Amino acid sequence: MTARARWAATVVFASLLGGALLAPGGNADAPKTAPRLPELQAPYPLPPLPPQSPRNANYTIEARLDPATQTIDGSLVLEWRNLGDVPIETFPFHLYWNAFRNNLSSTARGDGTRAARFKSDRDYGFMKIKRIVLLGEPEVDLTRGLRFLAPDDQNGADRTIGGVTAPRAIPPGATARFRIEWTARIPYGALGRAGWIHDYYFVVQWFPKIGVFRKDRWNAHQFHSQGEFFSDYGNYDVTLTLPQGFVVGATGTSEPARNNPDGTQTVRFRQDDVHDFAWTASRRFLERRSRFEEAGYAPVDIRLLLQPEHEHLAERYLRATEVALRSYGTWAAPYPYGHITVVDPAWFSASGGMEYPTLFTGGTHVQAPIELQSPETVTVHEAGHQFWYGLVGTNEFEEAWLDEGLNDYAEAKALELFYGPMGLGRRYFGGKESRGRQRGWPVVAPGVSIGRGEQSLSDLRRLGERDPMVRNSWEFENADVYTLNAYRKPALVYQTLEGLVGDETMTRILRTWSHRYQFEHPTTRDFIATVNEVTGQDWTWFFDETFYSSGLCDYAVVVQEEPRRRATGYVDGPPGDRNTPTPAITMAKGMPDDGLTETTVTVRRLGAVRMPVEIVVELADGRVVRESWDGRDRWARFRYDGPKVQRVSVDPDHKLAIDVDPSNNTWRREEGLARQAAWKWSARFLFWLQNLLELHTVLG
Amino acid sequence: MKRALSAGLGAAWRCRALVAFLWAANLAMSALLAVPLATVLERDLREKESAAQMARGFDYPWWSRWSDQQKGWTAAFKPDILGVGFAFRNTELLLNGRLPVGAFATGGKEMAPPDIDVDGVILGLGAAYMLLQVFFSGGILGALRGPRSSLTARGFAHGCGFYFGRMLRVAGVALLLDGAWFWLNAPLAAWANRIAQDAVSETTALAWSYGRHAFLLAGLLAIHGLAGYARAILVLEDRKSALLAFVSALGFCVRRFGAAAGQYLAIAALSLLALGSWTLVDGAVPVTGWATQLLAFALMQAFVLARVGLRLALLGGQLELYRGGR
Repeated sequence: MTARARWAATVVFASLLGGALLAPGGNADAPKTAPRLPELQAPYPLPPLPPQSPRNANYTIEARLDPATQTIDGSLVLEWRNLGDVPIETFPFHLYWNAFRNNLSSTARGDGTRAARFKSDRDYGFMKIKRIVLLGEPEVDLTRGLRFLAPDDQNGADRTIGGVTAPRAIPPGATARFRIEWTARIPYGALGRAGWIHDYYFVVQWFPKIGVFRKDRWNAHQFHSQGEFFSDYGNYDVTLTLPQGFVVGATGTSEPARNNPDGTQTVRFRQDDVHDFAWTASRRFLERRSRFEEAGYAPVDIRLLLQPEHEHLAERYLRATEVALRSYGTWAAPYPYGHITVVDPAWFSASGGMEYPTLFTGGTHVQAPIELQSPETVTVHEAGHQFWYGLVGTNEFEEAWLDEGLNDYAEAKALELFYGPMGLGRRYFGGKESRGRQRGWPVVAPGVSIGRGEQSLSDLRRLGERDPMVRNSWEFENADVYTLNAYRKPALVYQTLEGLVGDETMTRILRTWSHRYQFEHPTTRDFIATVNEVTGQDWTWFFDETFYSSGLCDYAVVVQEEPRRRATGYVDGPPGDRNTPTPAITMAKGMPDDGLTETTVTVRRLGAVRMPVEIVVELADGRVVRESWDGRDRWARFRYDGPKVQRVSVDPDHKLAIDVDPSNNTWRREEGLARQAAWKWSARFLFWLQNLLELHTVLG
Repeated sequence: MKRALSAGLGAAWRCRALVAFLWAANLAMSALLAVPLATVLERDLREKESAAQMARGFDYPWWSRWSDQQKGWTAAFKPDILGVGFAFRNTELLLNGRLPVGAFATGGKEMAPPDIDVDGVILGLGAAYMLLQVFFSGGILGALRGPRSSLTARGFAHGCGFYFGRMLRVAGVALLLDGAWFWLNAPLAAWANRIAQDAVSETTALAWSYGRHAFLLAGLLAIHGLAGYARAILVLEDRKSALLAFVSALGFCVRRFGAAAGQYLAIAALSLLALGSWTLVDGAVPVTGWATQLLAFALMQAFVLARVGLRLALLGGQLELYRGGR
């Protein structure tokens, strides 16, 4: 080999090695083993599923998108039936895009990554009702009576709810028909869930939508930066006109698009028994289709609208959607609609990670190592919302833990079952995306995995005492506290409930909940009642400690040992004889140490939350003692006399997922492992530091 | 270029005692924090099940709780330094202007990655290390330029002391140039970031993001290369002005661009090769007990040793290149 060839070989080898080094880690194959899900056919009776929703808010909409002006002009006819017990004459309508009208809206004044922070003119949007008419005999134009309402914060500048008063009340059971004409400017898509970016349109919360009348009052909240939505079920018939060349996805199924002579296309979507309608359009979408078919489940056509740069992730999106349909279908009730649309949002759009009936958005990166489970996490989560939010229509404004929390719980469970623990990684040299997320080169930490729920404990420790979980979304201290109490903490609470009642009973609770309340608006009280009914016990105490508490749960164990005490002083002597029936009293001189110990195990409740706990004590002679404690006092003490205690574990089966510090739940006889582990990891720190110091020589 | 590279590698090999000394200095300074960390970790892990898990692998819940409780420099112990992550994290610190002592941190919050800040104790140690290496550099150059017999502790110490003032000035000029480069780069980076945010596709955005980081890094490495020649010039020509030495270094590099850049890139490639080799071998050694722990430690130190050796090889090659190309 010549010198030149040697050089060339060296360079090639270096390039290959560098490539291997810099390539994002992971393989594209998901775990192959079949996870254990409960049987789809429940071996116990469940409430019957309703054949259809109440269909009391039915919309027929016609809308036209003008990309040149980023506007939508629309008209709709709403048929609304009064499900209440009293006549109604005032009607509130959500006008969500007015959250982006100016910097005075409640959303603009809000906190967190969903707050509207305007940077340029393109960021603003609005929704203006041009005409609102109560149809029937006689037709009444209500436009002049339109007033803006701010029931949550009395912000007079917020125009996200418009209310009208009809001249005639709508009696219980009767139907009112409204015709509304409106125009809307679409906000820029880096800001909110809805918006445009280049030729990507994500059009949600886009039409005037009536509030929910329940318990003889209107439930219609302003649009806040914290919290989501709530609306009634109905049938949607939506006709959209937009330029040709756009690929359109929406709630429901469509007829083939009709091309118009003016260069536009018209496409009509219909969907029954849903409580919202969302649509998206882009010229860049790639379309992929798949069909979920499994014994016992109704088949579901999956349509994936994908950004071209994410084409290599199509299979992972589709498989994750199937994972959600399969697992949630078992835990709740099979998905009934027969089709679902998955939208991969455009670069820098803030529309990712959102749920709408029969349509949801994912979100991922070009470089997506399987260990980081993206797009899997967001896909399973948002597909899972079809069940809890979509089919069980809880109030996201007021009780986010019933949809986000339950969904976070089930998402983590599904991911663990189908994909295993998540890896830990970090992205470098990329900068930030919309909503502050980091983009860049992913580097996965080898050998580090995060189990179900473990990632949430840090937030719970840090923020858990700020607010109780049960609060209106917009009333939490800040966006981080809202996120904790809407997603992370409730997921841990449900996981704890699962630990305490068992997996099978938890599944039965969720199935009962999902069957009984499909197409309904159940509340937290209904959930607790379902738990009590299924378990046959009163679990109110559990929810008082978790849902209604801002306390933390933390049990810890402390072990103290001393050699078994040998008597010194006066002790009973040998038995007496007939004349002196009582034993003689003798002076003990002490005995040599027999190697036995007296061990005191103290289990402490460090947090305010009280939970029953089990304690497992392993003794040196191989015996295992199980203790139980109701956990209500601040501490409990257990004594063991004899062989040494080798290991003590509080909550050995990890039932208490809400325990904020699982590492203090165990005591283990020190055998040098702490030193070994400490040096092992200090060596890694040393290595990092050595290289950091050496890197300084590049500068000086 | 090849001759300079070979000469540099040869000089580093010839001065392997010096390489070992520099490695030992690096190890000793790093141990100033690593040893106390071991004590802190051991104290927390004692009599816990997590100790067994941390000895076998990594216990995320334990680390998460422990990390939440750390306030100072110990908080820098994070799993993102594992595997090749240490190199990425350090380079990110460099490119975000956190080295030395946060002097060049220009980017606003909008562009800075999360958790970028490192405790002042660590940054202070880094600055002290940099100063120490500036002090050593006169001795290093003196050793590299002479025959093997000239490498004595006394000669090294003399070189360190004799050239310290000049080397300090070179370091000062280099830091000024680095600062200027960061300052000039800031609006460029912001502009590139805006373009990335407005890109149609994520691929384009990433290209802009990676590109702006690569551009910044290239500038810093160019200044580093120039500083090496400036040092060589000060020693070889016994000059005193660091500024003029930089000017001469610039002139030389322009004249001999291919050779100078080639030699630098070859050393950079060898460094990457060393990093890649270490990553492959380290990944294949699961640490489960003291024996494997020692092996992993030896591998890590071999990498640091190689890195220090390559630093000297770079300087040696620059000396050779300048000597032959004047």
